[in-house]
Amino acid sequence: MQDLQPIRLSQLTAAIDKALADAFRKTSVWVIADVTNHTFRPEKNYHNFDLVEKDPHSNAIIARVQSKAWGAGSTSIAHFQQTTGQRFSNNISVLVNVSVTYHPVFGLQLNLNNIDINFTLGALEQERLATLARLVDENPGFIRKEGDVFITKNKELPLNRVIQDIAVISSRTSAGWQDFKHTLENNSFGFVFRVDDYFTIVQGENNAQQFLSKLIEVFTSGKSYDAVVIIRGGGAQTDFLIFDNYLIGKAVAKFPIPVITGIGHQKNETIADLMAHTQTKTPTKAAEFIIHHNRVYEEAIRQFQKTIVIRAQQRFSAGFQALALLQHSTVHQSKEILFERNREILAIASAMVTKPKMIVYNRLNDMQQLALNLHTFGPLYLRNRRGELEHFISVYKILSPENTLRRGFAIIKSNGRITSDPAALAVGQEVRIILSDKEMGATITSKNDYDGRDFNI
Amino acid sequence: MMAETLTYESAYAELAAIAKEIESETVSVDVLAQKVKRASELITFCQTKLRSTESEVNKIIAQMEKQS
Repeated sequence: MQDLQPIRLSQLTAAIDKALADAFRKTSVWVIADVTNHTFRPEKNYHNFDLVEKDPHSNAIIARVQSKAWGAGSTSIAHFQQTTGQRFSNNISVLVNVSVTYHPVFGLQLNLNNIDINFTLGALEQERLATLARLVDENPGFIRKEGDVFITKNKELPLNRVIQDIAVISSRTSAGWQDFKHTLENNSFGFVFRVDDYFTIVQGENNAQQFLSKLIEVFTSGKSYDAVVIIRGGGAQTDFLIFDNYLIGKAVAKFPIPVITGIGHQKNETIADLMAHTQTKTPTKAAEFIIHHNRVYEEAIRQFQKTIVIRAQQRFSAGFQALALLQHSTVHQSKEILFERNREILAIASAMVTKPKMIVYNRLNDMQQLALNLHTFGPLYLRNRRGELEHFISVYKILSPENTLRRGFAIIKSNGRITSDPAALAVGQEVRIILSDKEMGATITSKNDYDGRDFNI
Repeated sequence: MMAETLTYESAYAELAAIAKEIESETVSVDVLAQKVKRASELITFCQTKLRSTESEVNKIIAQMEKQS
């Protein structure tokens, strides 16, 4: 080596340049690497960064190359950020197309030509899925998966009928926060809300801890919020990775107050969305959801009110109708009863006026009749009695024994007694015959049946 | 005079009984005058009662119609 002539440094760099050019100048390669030391100068649209490879176990850097992007490379980075929502920044893993360059002053550098979007998207999605799986695995107490749906403790909290006291976690400068407040305050139903703002930075995974402390602040405030609203929206589509953070997802899932998200993410739902009680697409929609929720309650109350009024009116009108009917019949019926009773009394009174007089008159009449009868029938009676008496005397006279004897009949006495029985008289017996005024003795000489008709008058 | 406890219904029942007795002329002349006197008292009582009830009812009805 010592016999060789020393050369100038520029000669060496030229030799290196030539050797590298022979090996790499005409080609480009796709490499997988992580980004560090990133700086961006917008005015020049120039990215400076290191591409590194880390040992998967120790995380120690095992390869590092200074890199840059400008022109077409810078344009592809802008497109990448637009599409993935992932900022080209430190600690991201990328698949990039690079060419190797050498500069005598700046040394070896990689020039970024293109960046693969799908690789990063896939990596992000894988990371997201891994985080979700970890949330379910490590927190069985308050996160579980049923089919494609994540059921969290927060999701199972009942929403208060009215959401009025609200804690908002948002960025102070966020247009989404203004949209939310504007929509809430200008609701057309006159609903009033009490909103407490908990400002934090809601972008960049590195700010997860600060975000988390705000959530804890809401919890320890001691205020009984009806809901916690997480707002992130408007502006450029940049970094939503904070909402895919494991700790934030876990905190939201476990949070004892219903969480409503209004994260203006145009792509997938974030993990925070999946863990929250209710997710809406934008801050404005979050406000609309709350207003609608309260509106439903108000509508129900209105309906109750309407029903109560209608039912009450129905009851009143039915009552009034029944009363009117009763009043009418009461008036009518009571008058009828009085009229009827009056009529009865009058009838009796009129009978009382005439009837007793008639009774007395009738009795008097009877008396007079009786007196008249006595007067008329007294003498007549005596006369009749006398007539009857005379009749009896004449009959008696006709039937007297003297008259009978005088008409030719005789009395026969046997043993001193008058007899009319021929069987008691025998032939030869002594009898006495009385004829007119003479009594004669005789003996019975014969006794025969007599069938003469002498007495047949 | 009337006993304090006399009601329209009992007065009317008694009056109706007397009236029936008199109508059918089964009443004894011995008590006729007494019965007629009693009947007259009962009629006065019933009419007084009816009149006072009627005026009271009319007053209530008037009030009722004023309210409705």
